[in-house]
Amino acid sequence: MHVRGRPIAKVPTQVSGLDEVLEGGLPRGRTTLVSGGPGSGKTVLGLQFLCAGALAGEPGVFVTLEERAEVVRQNALSMGWNLAALEKAGRVAIVEARLFGEEVTAGDFDIQGLLAIVGGQIKRIRARRVVMDALDVLLRVFNDPQRERNELYRLHEWLMNRGLTNLVTAKAQRGGETVSQYEFLDFMADCVLRLDHRVIGQVATRRLRVIKYRGSGFGTNEYPYVIGTHGIVLFPLTRAGLAHQPLGEKVSSGLTGLDIMLDGGYRRASCILVTGTSGTGKTTLTSTFVQAACRRGERVLSLSFEESREAIVHAMLSAGIDLRPALRARRLMIQTGLPEAMGSDDHLIRALEAIDSFKPDHVTLDAISACVRMGSEQAAFDYLMRLVCILKERGISCILTNQISGMVGTDEELSGIGFSSVVDAVIQLRFVEKDQEITREILVIKSRGSAHSNRRQTFVITDHGIEFPDDPLPPPSRKRPAGRQGGE
Amino acid sequence: MSQNPRTKLGRKKGTRDHYLLRLFVVGLGPNSKLALSNLQSLCCEHLEGRYTIEVIDVVKNYQAAARDNILITPALVLVTPLPRVVVLGNLSDRQRVLFALRLSGGDP
Repeated sequence: MHVRGRPIAKVPTQVSGLDEVLEGGLPRGRTTLVSGGPGSGKTVLGLQFLCAGALAGEPGVFVTLEERAEVVRQNALSMGWNLAALEKAGRVAIVEARLFGEEVTAGDFDIQGLLAIVGGQIKRIRARRVVMDALDVLLRVFNDPQRERNELYRLHEWLMNRGLTNLVTAKAQRGGETVSQYEFLDFMADCVLRLDHRVIGQVATRRLRVIKYRGSGFGTNEYPYVIGTHGIVLFPLTRAGLAHQPLGEKVSSGLTGLDIMLDGGYRRASCILVTGTSGTGKTTLTSTFVQAACRRGERVLSLSFEESREAIVHAMLSAGIDLRPALRARRLMIQTGLPEAMGSDDHLIRALEAIDSFKPDHVTLDAISACVRMGSEQAAFDYLMRLVCILKERGISCILTNQISGMVGTDEELSGIGFSSVVDAVIQLRFVEKDQEITREILVIKSRGSAHSNRRQTFVITDHGIEFPDDPLPPPSRKRPAGRQGGE
Repeated sequence: MSQNPRTKLGRKKGTRDHYLLRLFVVGLGPNSKLALSNLQSLCCEHLEGRYTIEVIDVVKNYQAAARDNILITPALVLVTPLPRVVVLGNLSDRQRVLFALRLSGGDP
């Protein structure tokens, strides 16, 4: 999984998730190559690194070999980075170094003119970082692999001698795994990151991989990333799960009967799964909790992939649950979206942005079964696993619903998606035919770190909410406290 | 399009008379020296008495390189007569240089 090496000095990139993968950041005083196809986000990564440095007291020079400086400034501004202000403050310098292709060549030449310009700017703002965007464009002028190599070597030596931390980007050939003509660049750089932008199941996905990192360990997987509204965000799944908050105190589910079955209610910071076939009352059960939580003054973010906000509110009204006061008081935020509308990574960043701004105490998601429509089962898994892990890290509880297809079924169907390990409690709803009548039953299948009732309990959905005709029995462990008590 | 033919002629005459050439070099590297000597001998032969050569060391004056967008050295810029021309390299390929500076008619 990880290759261990002698620790070297590193510069944090401040790119969310990337520093974990790089075990601290990019190598200080060395050159990092970022290669990738068009639209993979190379420039964004470079700008992000530069701006983070400029704000942290490490001025930087951005050398744009392809785009006009004005375009670079505009692109940065769209991510919320004000380059013009940083330039004014002497923390950033932009060198527009574009060849126009009209030059006549006659005899041997090299890139010392560029180095002189960049060197002048480095001196002027006392730069500690240099980003060279689209080096391949510059190399094209040589039109000869041997001379390209010589110039790359010259550039590398020049950068190394200045002790600057450099990030160089180069275009990868479309569809190619490696930048074959720039293998030498790969070889020369101390750290090589490959950005990949591909389409799987009609959904665009982006992946980052660390190809090499001299003198350091690194995460060796392919990591999904998105270009969000504030730059690149990485989701290293492997690190998730290490920093979960312990399960918290119990909060009422909104139903006295269910609280008795759960020995007090749901635990904070836990992940609760509600499964059942269509119409068994999963959304009603979840909304009961949402209403109760908001009435307590807590904040809930509801992610819905099934219905519109209006439809949800309306449907719940018929079951006697009024979500409107909670919405008005801004304690409830409903985020709806078609699973097919974007890739799972974009869904995740959208949810994360809502979590960051709304700061909910609880998150509900309706429904897991719809997430598969984000592209594939793998995409759904990636989305759910990362979302749940991030929520757990922040101590936010989440209630997920899952629609199962068969009339009979446990959470077995869920194991297909394979993330039952992060689920702390499972509640199953089902229909039963009794005396020529269909009734609903609820069962707590699992409740980590807590006692729970092991009886199926009949419930009805009335026009004033869920009711239990027979009082639910408390968990058996009440009589045997040694049973399932205690955390895991 | 409705230019006074006299002015046009006059400008043409004036510009043909004098060549302002700016050579960007790096210190006194061998390639830079070669470029300068190549340029001097070319001017002697083809532009006797009607040229000026400005030599700019990009290491000492990076601002000038930035102004003229000189990334590659050595580089020769024909400032006047217009249109501006940039020739990259040590100017060893004399035919190409002459062609670029509009001093020969043939294809390089």
